[in-house]
Amino acid sequence: MSKAVTAILYAPGTNCHEETAAALERAGLRSELALLGDLLKGEIRLEPYQALVIPGGFSYGDHLGAGRIFAILLGARLRDQLTEFLDSGKPVLGICNGFQILAEAGILPYRRLGERAMALLANQSARFEDRRVRLLVSEQECLWTRDLAGQVLEMPSAHGEGRPLFCDSDSGASPRVVLKYSDENGAPTLHYPENPNGAPDAVAGITDETGLVLGLMPHPERASLAVHESQDGLKLFKNLARWLLA
Amino acid sequence: MAIYSVYVSSRDDAEAHHWLTFFRRHGYEDLKGLVIERVYWLEGNLRPERLLPLLANPVYQTTSSQSMLDPAQGPILEIAYRHAVTDPETPSILEAAHALGEDGLEFARLSKRYQFCGVTRQDALRIAERFLFNKVVERIREPHELVTTLRPTGEPDPVTTVSLAGLSDEELQALSAARSWYAPLSQMRVIQAHERRIGRPHTDAEIEILAQSWSDHCYHTTWKSLGLLKKLSEATARIAHPLVVSAFKDNAGGIEFYEDWVVTIKGETHNFPSSIAPFGGVATKHGGVIRDTLGFGKGAYPIGGTTIMGTLDPAMPENQVPEGALPPQLILSESIRATAYYMNPMGIPMMHAIYRRHPGYAKCLALGHSLGLIPRKYALKDQPRPGDALLLIGGETGRDGIHGATASSASMTQETLAKESAAVQIGHPITERRFTTAIPALRDRGCIRSITDLGAGGISCGAGEMGAETGVALNLDAVPLKDRSLTAWEILLSESQERMLIAVPPEKLDEAERLLDRYEVRHATIGRFTDSHRLEAAWRGQKVVDLKMSFLWGACPIDPIPMAAPKRELAPLRIPEPKTADEWFEAVHRVLRHYHCADQSAAGSRFDSTVQGRTVVGPYGGKNHRMPSGFYLSAPLRGKNYGVITTVAFNPLYGEIDPAGMAKLMIIEAITKAVVAGADYRELALCDNFYTPRVRPEVAWDLTRMVETIADFSKKIGVPFISGKDSSSGTFDSAGVSIEVPPTLAVMAFGRMPDVRRAVTKDFKRPGNKLLLVGHTDSHALSGSVYADSYGQRGDRLFDPGDGKSIRKLWDALVRVHREEGYVSASAIAEGGVFLPVFEAAYGSGWGAQIDLPRIMEDASTGTKSVVPFRNDGLLFGEFIGAALLEVPPGFDASRSFQGIPYVTLGNVTSESRITLIQEGKTIWQEEVSDLAEVWSKPFREVLE
Repeated sequence: MSKAVTAILYAPGTNCHEETAAALERAGLRSELALLGDLLKGEIRLEPYQALVIPGGFSYGDHLGAGRIFAILLGARLRDQLTEFLDSGKPVLGICNGFQILAEAGILPYRRLGERAMALLANQSARFEDRRVRLLVSEQECLWTRDLAGQVLEMPSAHGEGRPLFCDSDSGASPRVVLKYSDENGAPTLHYPENPNGAPDAVAGITDETGLVLGLMPHPERASLAVHESQDGLKLFKNLARWLLA
Repeated sequence: MAIYSVYVSSRDDAEAHHWLTFFRRHGYEDLKGLVIERVYWLEGNLRPERLLPLLANPVYQTTSSQSMLDPAQGPILEIAYRHAVTDPETPSILEAAHALGEDGLEFARLSKRYQFCGVTRQDALRIAERFLFNKVVERIREPHELVTTLRPTGEPDPVTTVSLAGLSDEELQALSAARSWYAPLSQMRVIQAHERRIGRPHTDAEIEILAQSWSDHCYHTTWKSLGLLKKLSEATARIAHPLVVSAFKDNAGGIEFYEDWVVTIKGETHNFPSSIAPFGGVATKHGGVIRDTLGFGKGAYPIGGTTIMGTLDPAMPENQVPEGALPPQLILSESIRATAYYMNPMGIPMMHAIYRRHPGYAKCLALGHSLGLIPRKYALKDQPRPGDALLLIGGETGRDGIHGATASSASMTQETLAKESAAVQIGHPITERRFTTAIPALRDRGCIRSITDLGAGGISCGAGEMGAETGVALNLDAVPLKDRSLTAWEILLSESQERMLIAVPPEKLDEAERLLDRYEVRHATIGRFTDSHRLEAAWRGQKVVDLKMSFLWGACPIDPIPMAAPKRELAPLRIPEPKTADEWFEAVHRVLRHYHCADQSAAGSRFDSTVQGRTVVGPYGGKNHRMPSGFYLSAPLRGKNYGVITTVAFNPLYGEIDPAGMAKLMIIEAITKAVVAGADYRELALCDNFYTPRVRPEVAWDLTRMVETIADFSKKIGVPFISGKDSSSGTFDSAGVSIEVPPTLAVMAFGRMPDVRRAVTKDFKRPGNKLLLVGHTDSHALSGSVYADSYGQRGDRLFDPGDGKSIRKLWDALVRVHREEGYVSASAIAEGGVFLPVFEAAYGSGWGAQIDLPRIMEDASTGTKSVVPFRNDGLLFGEFIGAALLEVPPGFDASRSFQGIPYVTLGNVTSESRITLIQEGKTIWQEEVSDLAEVWSKPFREVLE
């Protein structure tokens, strides 16, 4: 087991932190549940952690928009710590609500804290969608999907707001897509429900320019244990383990 | 103080789109467009523009200091919380604003402006009042309303006394009705006599407490009068099952799991509120039953839930809906939205989502279960001790839910909808989610002596029950209020959701408060346990309640209930047996299209089934995750292969034929579903939920027979009931007609399995395998079946599953063959007979099946051969509860494995994805599975749209 410790950052309304810890443990990683309130009060700091995972749920009851309050608290009150964390090249993963938080905080797609360039809108169906999805891994450089390009990963997906909308970037940058919803032949698809939220270009997960940050709507931690129908999600956490142990 | 407003509009607004479709579906076809604008009202010395990052994401939202809606496009209604009420979002806005450095913000409110294009203002008002807001807490803002402060304002009414002295029986009854106490005369007389004895008139708070605590909903007067709960708990005691840890005495029941853990179950109905306000009613159904898990022992953790709804036929035209009842389609669709709204944020996986219909469900059935997990050492509560603090945690107390307990105990009439909508609570899952995280932490640090949820009856019931053996003194001024105008009795009775009471040892109070602060759970010490054996409450310097516990819990008169055998008007079935391929085609499609058999994943896929990472087999499985699994399997202990299995049997079509027979079938169905999946019935326990009409002699008779039957049968099979709930008010009075629910019993079986990897799923595994039907069959027993219902017929004779001994013999054989890995896929026969699981297993696997209709069925138990000619449709669609469809390898020796048990070889799995029916070597019907799936997947989806 690695000495490096991964922080699983949670807040009121987060509800996937425990299974995320179980998935990290299965990948051979040590993790700690870090309560956002403890960080805000200065009782703990981000700096001792080697990686950060923001798990799924409905933080702060999705008030004012999914991930909004969490992201505001991160960006306004933990800006220095978070910038230092990101600048020191530590990996970050946002799953489902965690992805929504990274997007609302401006960390994805362009790693600009406080400058939003995307939104995760309500699903095309206007409903929460509990589905099992197939994700085609792209060639895009990303530590979380290293050596997985071309593979199709199966895992559960469960969310009401997961349809990405990107605004045009002045710098000409475009979002780096790592995972795409795909059909049973492994081809990216816009077809519902294989693409459960109507994501344009079938985008299910993106990384930043460093390849260290990954945000995805589906739930790799629910496809990580021996009792799960698929264990494809574990591959992402194993990639983190490989990176942290290297 | 300055007040600012910020208007936010969103592009691509899915919520607006949802409502537009919904309103057009519900009678407002003229509505051409709907736009929603959010308005943030901000009070303080601030610069609102500094808050814009919080109020809008510029990628898809636009802000303005003025409304962006053009009044010429249609009427605009702004819906806001009432002055006296706090918005649920307010604390989130304040916290984030302060994070942004805007400390000048002192208060904030959120309202929503709806613009209705293409309809009149009157229509817009009607739509809004019906669907968009709850008058108890919300209101429509006047366009140019003068606002001086956003802070909640309002003054409570003073406490009054109510003297019953000298009132005649008629006057007592009139007063009980006028005050919405719904207390029967016998109770009013006891209260009148009590007034004489204590020598003072009661306060309004005291009478409200008595009426509520003695309501059928809280006190179960019907069941007590008939001695029913005693029958069930005595049967369970008699079984003395070694796994039972807690039965019928806590908020849920619990059985031993593995490694010093206990799993718990509770099922609760919320029928009345869900009938008059389905969104609020169903949301709080989930909230309430989850709190029963949190309130088990010293706090269990919820790891699974269900939603089970029974309504009128949702396809019914709105003009046929009984006067005063909501359209069933509305109840269905709003209930689905509510389940998603509540369960998904709670992070509790959906185990079973089941929707059924019956012409008696004018007052709908709304049932939810909650499965829990708790360390063995915390599974039993301690008795609170004098000096313990009474800690109220969770949400603030408001006006919502007042008279919920008494109103839901009364029968529902066409006036109820308007009069008692205040009885429906508002649910906020985020509040419950906060303490769901905090309670295990409190428990593990020894801060909980005892814990209970606040549901029906509110603080008075919760505190009164907790302190029944000691006494409790309440300080109502300490109760955090979301509505400043609440008076004492309203604080005591309010059924505001998301609240729990904890008895905290005094030396642990500081630590408990620190922990709750850390998890951002609101808390207040609202009283102390005493040794006075009284329920006391003080408010604004007055003693407003002072009742002896012995009176509160011991003086409720139980009226005797007369019983009389019902006369049922039953007619034998008259259904022509299909002969030609066309007739078979029609018969098969009837069953596949039936509401109870059709694909319900359009609802089920809206509920998270994999959150917590414990789900092994979710509600849907197979290749494409649309095949109904028939059971739910969880692996609660991370890294371990131990499993908890749950199954549900709920069939509203059997009860009116034979309530007691139905009750027995429900037990057998629930257990068989678990057994075929690989559970040993000796490691299962049961949870019952009854729903019966308002009591009259015939109902009392049926109810008693049902309870006696399940008590007796549970003893015969050795599987105990450990938890349950009854609702005896399933009558809807409309335009001079009483519509009664059918005698209803939903049974959940739950239990443990040593290794989840040994579970057997329904989908076919390999072409060439044989299909066996094992267990009793009777091709003439189609009464109560879906097939008969599709002809609008009910019939007169339920399927006889055999006695306890023969059923146990069957289960023993199934358990043994499972242990030998004898079968590779399995289904328990239920609605849709043999045919439905054959189709589902084919659909879930991508394979097909060939069914040879046997000419003669051998009853191996007696060695006799049936001489009565079979009904082929009966063999295919008969609901042989207890029987199992098994897929076995070609070489499987059924005569050895099922010696002494009736079985028949039905056919085999084919590689062609087609179902073929063969008789005497001739194909009498065949159809592609994909075509059948098309038929099966449409009806439920269509009724939702």
